[in-house]
Amino acid sequence: MAVMTETGTASAVPLPAMKRRSPYPGWFFLPAAIIYGVLFLLPTVASLYFSLTRWNLFSSTFIGFDNFAQFLREPFLIKGLVNTVIYAVVTSGLKVVLGLLLAVLLTSQIAARGYLRSVVFFPVLVSTVGVGITFTVLMHPTQGMINEGLALLGIKGPGWLVDPNLALFSVALVDVWKGVGLATVIYIAGIVAIPKDYYEAARIDGATSFQNFLYITLPLCRPATVTVIILSFIGGLRTFDLIWAMTRGGPGFASDTVASVIYKQYQAGFYGLSTAGNVVLFILIAVLVVPLTMLLNRREGHE
Amino acid sequence: MAGLELKALHKSYGEVEVIKGVDLSVTHGEFVVFVGPSGCGKSTLLRMIAGLEDITGGELWIADKLCNAVEPRDRGIAMVFQNYALYPHMTVYDNVGFGLKLAKTPRDVRDQKIREAAKILQMEHLLERKPSQLSGGQRQRVAIGRAIVRQPEVFLFDEPLSNLDAALRVDMRMELAKLHQDLGATMVYVTHDQVEAMTLADKIVVLNGGVVQQVGAPIELYQRPANLFVAGFIGSPKMNFIGVTVESVVADTITVAGKDLATMAIPADGTGIKPGDTVTLGIRPHDLLNRAGTIVGEVMLVERLGNETNISLKLPSGTSWLVVLDGDHDLKPGGSVDLTFDPARAIIFGSDGVARHPR
Repeated sequence: MAVMTETGTASAVPLPAMKRRSPYPGWFFLPAAIIYGVLFLLPTVASLYFSLTRWNLFSSTFIGFDNFAQFLREPFLIKGLVNTVIYAVVTSGLKVVLGLLLAVLLTSQIAARGYLRSVVFFPVLVSTVGVGITFTVLMHPTQGMINEGLALLGIKGPGWLVDPNLALFSVALVDVWKGVGLATVIYIAGIVAIPKDYYEAARIDGATSFQNFLYITLPLCRPATVTVIILSFIGGLRTFDLIWAMTRGGPGFASDTVASVIYKQYQAGFYGLSTAGNVVLFILIAVLVVPLTMLLNRREGHE
Repeated sequence: MAGLELKALHKSYGEVEVIKGVDLSVTHGEFVVFVGPSGCGKSTLLRMIAGLEDITGGELWIADKLCNAVEPRDRGIAMVFQNYALYPHMTVYDNVGFGLKLAKTPRDVRDQKIREAAKILQMEHLLERKPSQLSGGQRQRVAIGRAIVRQPEVFLFDEPLSNLDAALRVDMRMELAKLHQDLGATMVYVTHDQVEAMTLADKIVVLNGGVVQQVGAPIELYQRPANLFVAGFIGSPKMNFIGVTVESVVADTITVAGKDLATMAIPADGTGIKPGDTVTLGIRPHDLLNRAGTIVGEVMLVERLGNETNISLKLPSGTSWLVVLDGDHDLKPGGSVDLTFDPARAIIFGSDGVARHPR
């Protein structure tokens, strides 16, 4: 009898309390939820809405997918999309290759290693606009130091930023110069984490330095490679500041990217249109980066 | 034919000398174990043989070839690392064949050698797996397989069993012993575990502080340790020591007595020892007998295992001893126990620490 009452009360009292979870922990979640909601969720939803309107900051009229239709009909926008992808592929590709080579160099036994590491990383810390302006001066077709230097060697330097076929790649090169330090640092961390045993075992097997690199360093710093590719690819897709500081998308629309096109639309007062552009950029990044990430993160890809 | 010859081998890191002149001769097919406490230089010595550490001084001969300046791959050695060093991105097959691939061995020869090694090690079913899909013992096998395909003059093992659990360690130890019999190759094996050393070795090299303390067959090291260090290091549980005073020295007998020990005549080489000297007497825990005699101690702790009884003993001087008695003894902590031993089983060490075995 006593046992029955005891079990009876025991199951009667705590069970409902367990089912209905206490609201108490929720209060801790609230501040972060408000900040996140106001600063991130709300703008995202709002931008989705405004991209479907004709909007001038004071009033908006719902116009369905007209903005997207118009945005995608603009020939310079298509050019901008293509440029963005080219830019992202070129910069992330070069950052992977150069970052890895620099990291291999900077993890080997060389003089002034620590100093050189900071030299490589330094451009990362400099303001992008500052770098852009500096390189614009350096890349001036006639008075820039680069072409003057080339002239001393008897080479007629190209119009780095004024040649429509070259402008985008010139900016991409500067982006690589500025960003390769970060890739290098990530690679250095990846390479340093590889156990020395592997190299010693390979040494006994008679591996050359190049074989060490090919069979040990390269496959074993794969996580670093994935990080560098993803980071620099996303960075490349949403690039704006360097483009704007160096070419403003020019000459013509030759070096426009999605972000610079959007900026120009904002400047012109087409807020709904440019918001639609932002949504397009968001979708572009998602469509390219999500499968890329999945591909790269496949568990231990085949060697 | 010499399998391996070390002549006055030295190694220094700057001012610090870690290997202080090691001489060692290993005949072909011998299983040699380097044993010693952490930091005694045993791994460094092995890595010098492998060519992973430069040799500061002396000569290293492998199969009658001076190897001081020879690249590791040309020394005719293969090494098994403590952490196995299996490439995680390669299958077992590729791991085992890696060295052959680097040596540009034709694919069919390579395949045959890999399968041969896999057969010897009974790991044919593992060839397509990645190291992460293997157990510790299997990884160990793959690491050995990688050494076998190189068909080296000398196998080098750097504490290969230290990452395995106790049961597996015993199994792998036996497999290694069998492998040595089957291959008949020279093997050099580093361990800090003296049981591994005792069971595997044809010849044990006891190292301490970069100096060889003694080289010999396992049982020789156990029965006739050269000095206090070897006596304390080889044998489990550890040998017991007490300080005693010499009463008389007659030919091959030294009579000693002390606070802990009634007067006893021990067969030993009395050269250079005179009455009044303080010497150390060593006796192994298993050699103590539970009979009224020469030693009385206070029982501190008793472990009754049925077939034997381990007793932690406190002698009148405060020295702690471990005693292992055959059979079961119902002793209680706090009580006292009378012990004696066969004088022939005791070893006298001079004040220099060197054992004075009877001539």
